[in-house]
Amino acid sequence: MSSLKRITKELNDLGRDPPTSCSAGPVGDDVYHWQASIMGPPDSPYAGGVFFLSIHFPTDYPFKPPKISFTTKIYHPNINANGNICLDILKDQWSPALTISKVLLSICSLLTDANPDDPLVPEIAHLYKTDRAKYEATAREWTKKYAI
Amino acid sequence: MSQISVHVKSGQNNWTVEIESAATIRAFKETISGVSGVPADNQRLIYSGKILKDTETVESYKIQDGHSVHMVKSGGASAATTGSTTTGSAASPAATNSAAPSNISAGQTGGFNPLADLTGARYAGLANLPSADMFGPDGGLNSSNGANPESMLQMLENPIFQSQMNEMLSNPQMVDFLIQQNPQLQALGPRARDMLQSPFFRQMMTDPQMIRQSMQMANSMGMSPDGAASAFPAPGSASGAGGANETSTNDADSAATGAAASSTGQANPFAGLFGATPGNAAAANPFAGLFPGGQQPQFNQELLASMFGGNSNATGAAPAVDNRPPEERYESQLRQLNDMGFFDFDRNVAALRRAGGSVQGALDALLNGDV
Repeated sequence: MSSLKRITKELNDLGRDPPTSCSAGPVGDDVYHWQASIMGPPDSPYAGGVFFLSIHFPTDYPFKPPKISFTTKIYHPNINANGNICLDILKDQWSPALTISKVLLSICSLLTDANPDDPLVPEIAHLYKTDRAKYEATAREWTKKYAI
Repeated sequence: MSQISVHVKSGQNNWTVEIESAATIRAFKETISGVSGVPADNQRLIYSGKILKDTETVESYKIQDGHSVHMVKSGGASAATTGSTTTGSAASPAATNSAAPSNISAGQTGGFNPLADLTGARYAGLANLPSADMFGPDGGLNSSNGANPESMLQMLENPIFQSQMNEMLSNPQMVDFLIQQNPQLQALGPRARDMLQSPFFRQMMTDPQMIRQSMQMANSMGMSPDGAASAFPAPGSASGAGGANETSTNDADSAATGAAASSTGQANPFAGLFGATPGNAAAANPFAGLFPGGQQPQFNQELLASMFGGNSNATGAAPAVDNRPPEERYESQLRQLNDMGFFDFDRNVAALRRAGGSVQGALDALLNGDV
């Protein structure tokens, strides 16, 4: 099956040359189920934290996007309490040219620059827009509590 | 046990450490603290998405020679969290590194560069994506030093590449970019945009059969630098065309015929070409709507070349005709059709032939009941 070949290829590339702040690999023997970790970007309130994610590949990957969600609690306008991520490339903007490595980097950049205009958690987005300092303080607190 | 060398990444820093694969993670951390100066207790090691536990061994996590492990300093985090406003003040150079490629990043502000995506994909090392290797050492269609036109055709038959082409051509920004990059398209003005966005053109660019014919035509018209394949005689010379018939391949014939027709001033030079090709799957002539008249073959050849990053020299040798049986030639496409619930082999093959190997086209044909 071509999805298996492609996933194995991505796994090899990730092992040899992973992005600076992300890492990912299979949970057990099932290559369709991965876990990933993202190190909080230094210039964000998530700095110092390590956030875990779970990745499920569909059998028709890369023609369909992988299902990715946070397993570590995180205070972010585009990530809800269940860990679901609101990111266009995981939905309608997915392209087979994207890889797990690039998707994780995109999630990293989402941590640095949230997108409050397309929020998943409206309250956090509201705070992000109206009282940035308070949002950052809460995000730092959650990072300390759940991700360090 | 065997000694392996592991890269340790921490922000901007990168160290290489030698370790026994049977060693514990604790011992691994001690070794790292030797080169990094970070005490073992303050290290968190991450590999394959997992935090490594002190009591486990290096081999239990399947860490292999030459692979990379991430290290996070737990003490170092406090420095960033003490500042009242971290944004700006605590920004380290590592921040620029962790940003996604500009065309993926959520808050994209920079200039549009569609090629970044291609280079990014190459960086990821996916076998199925077009990379510089596929275009040969000269990066293009010029085959004088051995690049194989057949490999490009194979690439065009790849469904991933096709879907990328489709996506590219349906993206208005990409169309702008293409027009900007190509003086010939610029000269065409608004017509260029219409043409690039027309479904005919898109089909043409994603149909391997069509590209194959264009390449063959370019050959037979003597565009190759060494003239090796110049089966095409002086335009308008009927006897010369007859002579060419004796020596050249079937497809080159029809190309010659078509080109000869153009020299006699017919409105659509391509009509003859595609009409005359025996067994040609493309019944409708996609060029007809695009080029109401004038000297188009030259323009089209150069457009093709520039779109694939090559220079305007055409290929030196005509690609071999694919004589493999359909179940072999269309193996992956047939499997995809089967997956979609089309089980009639003969109809599937007929549809794929008609669509030049494009699954999308074959689906259209199957669903419209054309085969």
